[in-house]
Amino acid sequence: MSSTATSAISATAPKMDPLHHFQVAKHLDLSFMGLDISTSNSVYWMWIAIALVMLFFHLAFKNPRTVPGRMQSLGEVGYLFIHGIVTDIVGEKGRPFFPYIFTLFFFILFCNLAGLIPGSFTVTSQLIVTATFSLTIVGFTFGYGFYRHGSHYFKFFVPSGVPVPLMPLMIPIEIISFLARPISLAVRLFANMTAGHTMLAVMFGYVITLPWWGAWVPFGFTVIFTGVEIFIGFIQAYIFTILTCVYINDAMHMH
Amino acid sequence: MIATAYAATGEQAAAGSGMPQFEPSVFQHQIFWSIASFVILLYLLRKHVLPAIEKVLDTRSNKISSDLDAALKSRQEAEKASVDTQKVLVAARRQAEQTVEEARLEAARYREMAKESLGQELSKKKSLALAEIETAKRAALAELHETVVDIAILATEKLIAKNMTKADTNKMVQEAITAVQEHKGQVH
Repeated sequence: MSSTATSAISATAPKMDPLHHFQVAKHLDLSFMGLDISTSNSVYWMWIAIALVMLFFHLAFKNPRTVPGRMQSLGEVGYLFIHGIVTDIVGEKGRPFFPYIFTLFFFILFCNLAGLIPGSFTVTSQLIVTATFSLTIVGFTFGYGFYRHGSHYFKFFVPSGVPVPLMPLMIPIEIISFLARPISLAVRLFANMTAGHTMLAVMFGYVITLPWWGAWVPFGFTVIFTGVEIFIGFIQAYIFTILTCVYINDAMHMH
Repeated sequence: MIATAYAATGEQAAAGSGMPQFEPSVFQHQIFWSIASFVILLYLLRKHVLPAIEKVLDTRSNKISSDLDAALKSRQEAEKASVDTQKVLVAARRQAEQTVEEARLEAARYREMAKESLGQELSKKKSLALAEIETAKRAALAELHETVVDIAILATEKLIAKNMTKADTNKMVQEAITAVQEHKGQVH
């Protein structure tokens, strides 16, 4: 009897499912040589992010001037921002990596920001997406370090200035911290996006369930928190980019 | 391999948490499309966006450096022109001073000359005047002398006509003639 009562209540009350908008729904089932290349809302929002990046730069540079207008200044600031990160952290030798880092930053940034559009999907709230990027980056830096320094690259895991008796302790720590890189990189972005959007979803749930005089409180909170989320979206893209540069620099200079 | 590794942990997590992110069936296509999307965006940005931005920035830096060069050049030219102008001014001033000096000297010379010629003129006029005065004096003296002689003769005639005999008269005439002749010899 009690179970029927519970189900009756849950049927009448509005359904609270703040994780619902992280649901990936496949749209077209496609496969290519046994590989699942289906499209889904996640994939479509990746494409939308690409389109938004291109639209942004199209608007910024459709009519380039020596003395820039507002949009052009914004586009140039984006370019110089990433350029500054790469040259500050990796140095002039980081020049070949610049296009990749530039693409990475703007892809993540626009995925983060596009996810704030009501009814949209946040690509970067998918751990598998952030893990794909972080594992590719860390795997690449490992391969690049090996390619650049050969077997010397293993010295990277041997901290300098440490007494020999401590080596059996230090080397595993270094290896573990290296292996933690892709995990921390992926989880940081995923967790920030997931937590922020879940919080917004919970607050919007309250806006719907509370009467109009009480709904203003969570509604006001969502307004403020959306602003915070824009900031977080930017910061997380920035951190992801900076750490990528740090890892490339490590592989290049073996610090 | 990555996907299966995550899928293994994902299945356990998804069972417990109910988070849609850990549903392994949606992993593979997202891995593929993440990489594909990145590559597509990389291609588009490299092909269309980065060259455009770099062109703008390069154009600007070229323009700035060429403008700076041009500004430097014009400044040097201006400085040179200023120096030239200064030179011209100094030369002009010097020339003006020289002209004034020359004019002053010329004027002094003219004044000197004028003074000299005036002096000559004056002394000439003076000597002329003196000569004229002398002539006039002489003429006046001569006239006076004649008049005195005439008066003396008239007076003498009258006196003689009254008192004298013929012999006396002859004697006196003789004396008078002698006297006049003597006098004349004295005057001349």
